[in-house]
Amino acid sequence: MPTTRDQKIQAEAKRLLQEGVVDVVIGFTKGTLPYKMQPCFIQHAEDVEQLELNGLCSNNLAVYLNHRPKDERTAIVVRGCESRAVQTLVLENRHARENLYLIGVPCIGILDLQKIQQHEQDPVLAIQEEGDQVHVTLKSGEKTFQRSEILHNACLHCNHPLPVNADMIIDEAGLFEERTFDKSYLESFRSLSLKERYQEFTKEAERCIRCYACREACPMCYCEECFVNHSRPQWVDSTIDPAGQQAWHIIRAFHQTGRCVSCGACERACPMNIKMTYLTDLLNQDMFKEYDFEPGLDPALMPPFLALGEDNEKFGVGPEGSHAG
Amino acid sequence: MQAKWISKKELKKLLTAWTKHYLVYAPIDNDHELAFQMVKEPARIVVDGYSNTRYPAKSLFLPQSEVLMKYDGILHSVENTEKEKILFGIRPCDAHAMQLLEHALVDVENPDLYWKQKRESAIVISKACIAPEETCFCTAVGGSPFNTADSDVLLVEMGEDYCVYVLTEKGISLCKELPDAEDTQLQAVKKLTKKVVGRMPVLLPKQELHNALMASFETEFWKDVSQSCLGCGVCTFLCPSCFCFDIVDETVRKERVRNWDTCMFRTYSLEASGHNPRPTKVERTRQRIMHKFAYWVDLIDEIGCTGCGRCVKYCPVNIDIREIAEKALHREFEGMKK
Ligand code: SF4
Ligand code: SF4
Ligand code: SF4
Ligand code: SF4
Repeated sequence: MPTTRDQKIQAEAKRLLQEGVVDVVIGFTKGTLPYKMQPCFIQHAEDVEQLELNGLCSNNLAVYLNHRPKDERTAIVVRGCESRAVQTLVLENRHARENLYLIGVPCIGILDLQKIQQHEQDPVLAIQEEGDQVHVTLKSGEKTFQRSEILHNACLHCNHPLPVNADMIIDEAGLFEERTFDKSYLESFRSLSLKERYQEFTKEAERCIRCYACREACPMCYCEECFVNHSRPQWVDSTIDPAGQQAWHIIRAFHQTGRCVSCGACERACPMNIKMTYLTDLLNQDMFKEYDFEPGLDPALMPPFLALGEDNEKFGVGPEGSHAG
Repeated sequence: MQAKWISKKELKKLLTAWTKHYLVYAPIDNDHELAFQMVKEPARIVVDGYSNTRYPAKSLFLPQSEVLMKYDGILHSVENTEKEKILFGIRPCDAHAMQLLEHALVDVENPDLYWKQKRESAIVISKACIAPEETCFCTAVGGSPFNTADSDVLLVEMGEDYCVYVLTEKGISLCKELPDAEDTQLQAVKKLTKKVVGRMPVLLPKQELHNALMASFETEFWKDVSQSCLGCGVCTFLCPSCFCFDIVDETVRKERVRNWDTCMFRTYSLEASGHNPRPTKVERTRQRIMHKFAYWVDLIDEIGCTGCGRCVKYCPVNIDIREIAEKALHREFEGMKK
């Protein structure tokens, strides 16, 4: 059932297509399973009724900017993290901002299926959202959750649920407040000893099956050839042995420093439920401490590591800066 | 085929006894998901009431990463150290997949020895699905939740007992102590089979689907259905019948290994020249579906998908192979641009 939020999204999409402002509207539509929504690409005004947005829309739609022609005039339905991903992609010259139209939606958060479906043997049969409450039909029976209980961790830790630099904002209230940078959840990891941290990291990394769904779901992972596939030289062991797994996760995280928008799309795409955003969040926390920088928040500000090597006063790099070179 | 009977309690005892003589692999809840693992504590085996493991059973015969050879100046083959093992509790769709893999990997003159040794040393005890999931569609692709193909023994959960269908010589040697099932018990199994199968999807007309897919090849249908695909390895790595691999020399470890590979990766068909005959996700998605529903039919007159539903359930963007097959069958590509 379309909510009033959906109707507003649909109306805007319809206008954009009818007036020829864009060629395509990227959003979400109902999936084939009761707990899934699918990304969709609407090209005709008569199809806009397919557009819906709810807590089951688990992908970061900005990823599709990396798949589609650069000159396509594109509207995207963006929540906070998606808008920040778009800004970063624009800064990195992946897309021209003038070809984009951002339909901003104050975020209602994304649900974590793993929190809903505690056991594989007890699958989800239906999900019905109603404001703060989410009614779930499991094989074992009905259950009502508070939305906050079953939110994905990335959403629980989100600081900026409001879309940045959007062309319009759907005027429905989101569920969360903006807040100043807070990743205090990381303190428990930071307080571990080196050995404990290693254990924590490696027991997660070693369950990886190297399907690269995390990478492919990530808007910031768009390299034509990822380091992990490089064969000359080969950077990473190709097998699922621990050494390769660890290297894959560590290096991918480092490539996200100051770029990761903490959307959690990588974790939700992972078929093994591997949790790795704490790594990118740790690095982003450093970026904040060192450079007062948050990915995607300021559409004019390059991520520090991309600005490196240039004479860049903002980040204190350049001839006198400690990070020169 | 023999039909035997065993109580759940006795089955547990039997499993424990087997672990003393064989390596037993069975579904175990590893805190993250259900997975086939070598059994160390028989009490941890999940025997009743699960649907399927997330990571497919093929991994026991075609491991995701496998050392083929070692070298220290010259190449050495690795020794065959396979011990006789029991694979307990695999689902009929995964068992059927092993038959398909056998076609792919073992032609008579050049069998894949690595696969063959593992496969031959295994006794397969499968388990019928009395409560298939929403995503299960084995019946649509020629299988059944009670399929006996490629198993040595098939168990059917019947209340507090199991009906035990003994299908091969290997199976007989394991189950000879068990009492025969009674007629009334077998009637009950038949009734259950009918009830469960009756609720499952109907059989796809495979030749018609094959023909439709062939006709769709050059149309924009594939652009349409692949639009949201991310190009990851989820659907194919979790697929019990996908078998593509890539051989790599791990020079640091001095090993020649093979790793699963997938037609959904952009590097899969990338040639050394830089040319890629399947340059985008359009061709790659088409390949995955065509391979399963058209090329397998050409080769052995069988669909190469066993309907386990893993790709449906775990695709991060909910690309649903059932939906694509339906659309093709209804010739939605007709009228679409070439
Ligand atoms: S690394 Fe994960 S959380 Fe960060 S931007 Fe990519 S998908 Fe989002
Ligand atoms: S992990 Fe690094 S190299 Fe690989 S795609 Fe992401 S950014 Fe590129
Ligand atoms: S999605 Fe999960 S299993 Fe796949 S490569 Fe990423 S972490 Fe590993
Ligand atoms: S169909 Fe889904 S699981 Fe398969 S490659 Fe595409 S996105 Fe990944």
